[in-house]
Amino acid sequence: MIELRGIARRFVQGRGRSARSVQAVAGLDWVAGDGCISGLLGPNGAGKTTVLRIVAGLLLPDAGQVRVDGIDVATQRQAALARIGVLSDARGLYPRLTARENIVYYGQLQGMSRATAEARAQALAQTLQLEPLLERRTEGFSQGERMKTALARALVHDPHNIILDEPTNGLDVQSTRALREALRRLRDEQGKCIVFSTHLMQEVERLCDQVLVMARGRAVAQGTVAELCALTGHDDFESCFVQLAFGSEAVP
Amino acid sequence: MIAAAWTVLLKELRDALRDRRTLLAIVLSSVAVGPLVLVLLSTLVAGIEERAESREVVVAGIEHAPTLHNYLLRQTYRVMPVPQRFEQQLQSKQLGEAVLVIGADFEAELARGEAPRVELVLSSANPRAMAGASRLTRLLQGFTQEQAMLRLAWRGVSAAALQAIEVDERDLASPAARAAQWATLVPFFMLMAVVYGALHAALDTTAGERERGSLEPLLGNPVPPLALVLGKWGAVAAVAMLIALLSCASFLPGQWLLRSETLAAMFRFGVREGMMFLALLLPLAGALSALLMVIAIRCRSVKEAQANATALVLAVSLLPLLSLFSQEGEAPWHLAVPALAQITLMGRVLKGEAMAAWEWALPLAVCVLLVLLCLAFVARSLRAAAMK
Repeated sequence: MIELRGIARRFVQGRGRSARSVQAVAGLDWVAGDGCISGLLGPNGAGKTTVLRIVAGLLLPDAGQVRVDGIDVATQRQAALARIGVLSDARGLYPRLTARENIVYYGQLQGMSRATAEARAQALAQTLQLEPLLERRTEGFSQGERMKTALARALVHDPHNIILDEPTNGLDVQSTRALREALRRLRDEQGKCIVFSTHLMQEVERLCDQVLVMARGRAVAQGTVAELCALTGHDDFESCFVQLAFGSEAVP
Repeated sequence: MIAAAWTVLLKELRDALRDRRTLLAIVLSSVAVGPLVLVLLSTLVAGIEERAESREVVVAGIEHAPTLHNYLLRQTYRVMPVPQRFEQQLQSKQLGEAVLVIGADFEAELARGEAPRVELVLSSANPRAMAGASRLTRLLQGFTQEQAMLRLAWRGVSAAALQAIEVDERDLASPAARAAQWATLVPFFMLMAVVYGALHAALDTTAGERERGSLEPLLGNPVPPLALVLGKWGAVAAVAMLIALLSCASFLPGQWLLRSETLAAMFRFGVREGMMFLALLLPLAGALSALLMVIAIRCRSVKEAQANATALVLAVSLLPLLSLFSQEGEAPWHLAVPALAQITLMGRVLKGEAMAAWEWALPLAVCVLLVLLCLAFVARSLRAAAMK
């Protein structure tokens, strides 16, 4: 479970007199529950990545508190991070290492023994259909192959909370379906708390039990897809999202 | 934290050793350069020695000067004929001897007691010919003195009347110190090998990590940033230290390649000197690795980092010149400047000079302090760097 209470974060761009401050997140309250896939939806620049970075402990909020399974990220960062798996916006791999070495490296950094990490990499490769790639250097991997390797790397320590920043970017239909299936299984069989950010309506409609719509750093609505559609009076979720994010005058 | 740092170190080392460019830098900068420098150096010195021992002089118009010819023969010199277009040959360094040109009236003017003019043709851009020129000058002075003594004796004056003072030279430099003038090049090449060896590895683990976008996910692991930095630095320093070790070792067999016996006898670089060099170079390798990481973590790409690291490489290559150009010689503060301290002390090791304990301790302390400061800085800027 991931709980956000009154999160605020401001960035200062430039220096001296030309400095301009941008309020990326302003007073966000949200709870992403266990056994639930929660979608974080918002237009470009809404603050999605900033929120996910704050949850992952990469950024400190100016105000508010983040708790992962009851552990405060600000005071017990290491313990909280051990319970999260993050597939961030940047998914750089080490090109001179094989896919397996990339995954095992993260397992060891998570405190797993080499043997355990190896076994876990093998199991994840099976789930994500990554097996034929395991012994290849990641140099020259396709976008989708990179993405799968990065996902396996993020899940190597079997975290209870999974954060995915636009995971279907660059995946073909088959892989997207496989990923969706894998996420559903993680939710249903192991009761994981899964959060993912996206700007694809289709993804949200097919996968999410819960949606948080963000705009200009604030939460503008939350609920299930059906609830949000009912709230705005649209049948079409895309129109519903546009109205929530940009106001009713933006809907044609 | 130690376990995590160890994991990072092993991974970075494996990564670095799979990189062809790093391997190439190791091989070229450390293993090949040492022997190559020694062979080139010895060829130059051996050439000069050969000329010194050959006892040959090149004279144009020796037929006009039988007296001088007689003198040269008595000094056991052979007079060689002048090659065609010797001036061009001197300039293009094909001819390695200065040429003495004698006019047609030489013998007659000498007999009349007038001072005949001779011309010594040389090129100061041609070091081999310069060695021959000073030999010819000495020979001509000897001839002049002999003639003068004969004339004075003819007139019944003692030759001592011409010499108001007598000068005896006493050279305080030991043979080893004289050889060290040539050998000062050796520490410099070792220093550059360490810098270039560490450069690529240091840039790849910091700026390279940013460029690939792998730094942000890396920081998502429950590992303190300091442990990551420690592991990365350990790997870079290990590569740099490996190069220091290899280049010290490469000068040991390189010595057998020395063609000049004098140089081989005077360039004293045995196992003991090698160990002392290592004791100086290993801490410096650590400090330079940390400094390169500080420069590179601020850069978004390896290319940008390379451009910025040029300043450090330039500083390291120019610092040795400071001791060369400084009028006062070695100042105590030289030992507090990394790279300059090591090059100064390595020079003293080659000269066989004794060193006080503090002279070893000061550069070491400076390096350790530098490493600590740099690592703390990199650890602090890691998170901000990941997100820009």
